[in-house]
Amino acid sequence: MRSAGKFFASVKLAIVLFILITLASILGTLIPQGRSAAEYAARYGGLSGLFVSLQLTRLYQSFWYLALLLLFGLNTVVCTLSRFGPKCRRAFGPMAATDAQNLMTLKVKSRFRLALPIDAAKDRIAGLLRSRHYILAESGRANGIILLARKRRMGLFGSDIVHLGLLVILIGGFTSGLGGRRADVPLLEGQTADIPHAAFQVRLDKFETEYYPRGEVKDWKSTVTVLENGAPVLTRVVEVNHPLAYGGYSFYQTSYGWDWERPRLELEVRKRADPAFSKTVALKVGERMPVDDADFDHVVVRQFIPDFVIGEGNKVQSRSREPNNPAALVEAWKGEERVFGGWIFAKFPDFGQGHVAGQSALAFVLKKYTAAPYSVLEAAKDPGVNFIWLGCLLVMVGFFLAFYWPPREIRVVLDEVQGKVEVTAGGQAAKSRETFQSEFDRIFDSARRPA
Amino acid sequence: MTESTLFTIAFALYVGALIVYFASLFVRREKWTRNGLALAAAGLVFHTTALILRTVVSRHAPFTNMYESLSFLSWAMVLALVVFSRKARVPRLGPYLMLIVVGLVALASSPLMPKEATPLVPALQSYWLWLHVSVTLLGEAFFAVAFVSSLLYLASDTEEKKERLDALSYRAVAVGFPLFTLGGLVFGMVWAYRAWGSYWAWDPKEVWSLITWFVFALYLHTRIVMGWKGKRSAIIAIVGFLAALFTYFGVNYLLAGLHSYT
Repeated sequence: MRSAGKFFASVKLAIVLFILITLASILGTLIPQGRSAAEYAARYGGLSGLFVSLQLTRLYQSFWYLALLLLFGLNTVVCTLSRFGPKCRRAFGPMAATDAQNLMTLKVKSRFRLALPIDAAKDRIAGLLRSRHYILAESGRANGIILLARKRRMGLFGSDIVHLGLLVILIGGFTSGLGGRRADVPLLEGQTADIPHAAFQVRLDKFETEYYPRGEVKDWKSTVTVLENGAPVLTRVVEVNHPLAYGGYSFYQTSYGWDWERPRLELEVRKRADPAFSKTVALKVGERMPVDDADFDHVVVRQFIPDFVIGEGNKVQSRSREPNNPAALVEAWKGEERVFGGWIFAKFPDFGQGHVAGQSALAFVLKKYTAAPYSVLEAAKDPGVNFIWLGCLLVMVGFFLAFYWPPREIRVVLDEVQGKVEVTAGGQAAKSRETFQSEFDRIFDSARRPA
Repeated sequence: MTESTLFTIAFALYVGALIVYFASLFVRREKWTRNGLALAAAGLVFHTTALILRTVVSRHAPFTNMYESLSFLSWAMVLALVVFSRKARVPRLGPYLMLIVVGLVALASSPLMPKEATPLVPALQSYWLWLHVSVTLLGEAFFAVAFVSSLLYLASDTEEKKERLDALSYRAVAVGFPLFTLGGLVFGMVWAYRAWGSYWAWDPKEVWSLITWFVFALYLHTRIVMGWKGKRSAIIAIVGFLAALFTYFGVNYLLAGLHSYT
């Protein structure tokens, strides 16, 4: 048990862990994380199985990486605790035995005599030290007095506060990992969705995409209403960088799109034999739309693709969700006879006529295509996040104390010698020794020569 | 005057500072070192004006693409030089730091870097962009000071010089490490939480800033607790700056992730 304590208290372990965590983390940035098995097989061939079984493909969630982090946390705790007691004694404890001889071995020191009663000498020096924010402790000895003056004692604990902060962050991280929930909530305008494990619903009232003058996306804005038991509670606009927080959940604008499964289409029908003929048909996909005409009696759109492309195996598919190359598979029927059948393209109105349906007497143009926009909100519940902010605050406060709040200590021995008081003072500072030296000199110059 | 004119003037002054600084190494006169610093400081004034003007014209923070952030990083390095050159009493800091600055500014001015200010994608429209990027790059500028003084340490011969360089390197880390932690990790997490809904996603850029952080944590622990100083400390500081550089530069080009906006 004791040797285990020693093992965890050693800075050497901390250093080994720093190096191991660093190397493991680098490995995780070299191997793409969380991809499909097929992608790994294509990339690494025979090694891919080994990578997966060593959890290198989800390294930051792997058992061994988390174990390293836990070990790091444990090491931090034990290291900090084992140094805490001695530090407390140094900062707040009673004075260690001090004699004038010892003080004269310090680098920052001063020795002089004052023709004053010892109490007056003590009061003068104590006053000067207090005016520079030193906290004093006093003890007596034969024919003399010892003063212990300390300031910025919190500076001693900077590194401990950093370590505490890191520990809180680690706890926060594990809390987030174990208790966090997130789910994508796709919503069409007017649609309401239940939030998993929560007693409220959200409704999308309006969704807008704003563009810059040159066409780049400027912002996505979802106007969202929170409902409890069907009654609206609040309405807010959710934007990227402006999430909505409600009931322990945060809602983020994460994605958007159009409901191309259910577009509203408008087709223009022409006849080759009659250039003056033009008829507009508005319809939905799959809808059998009757037409009052001698050459055909109904029109059907079998399929709509927003960004038409022919993929592997001659399969028709959409390259993206953007309407870059909208296409509709249109059929026109006269009784049992199909008088037109083929793909028509909004951006290439002449293409279909020449090829697929070139033999037909009819020609179709895809005039309009609209679909309801939808917004994807991410509903996230992260119970660890407040630990993270608290931990970050502690780390930064600790850094400030450790680097910029160096503790200082001055010890003064006053002895009565031949009717005078001999003052011996010595000081120690953890950092910025030059400024400490000048502060020390000023204090004891004034003590020697009162203004 | 336009932003690019001001930037060019700053560039010219930096090159001037570099030349005067290197001359000072050969003539070994303190006056030349001071003149080098004065030229660098003059360049800093023009550079600052250029950054402000760009911010006013583009109406967003001047570090949203590689050109802008390189410009800001070199600005921060000159600032770090001005801050440290008085106290450090290391005459060779100026020449070698300015060498890096001129290299970065030249890279920023090269035709490889698109210079026009582009409208911000939605994720970047946040005041956290200001806080996250500026404080991180400022921290990295101080890492650059530690890097230069550590390299000089390895190259120097006398004990007195070595002691000063070692102290300078530590002082630069003492400024750079808290800034990098605050800007890169803390502000980065806050922003990620606001924009993406999770404060940490193990994105390559995030992991590399963590790696950089661990290297400097190693620097501090080996130095303060184990008493490593000098050569070994210098090597860790050099590795730390290279990790920071990779986080800033390499990740964007070599590893894909959330942070690849361009």
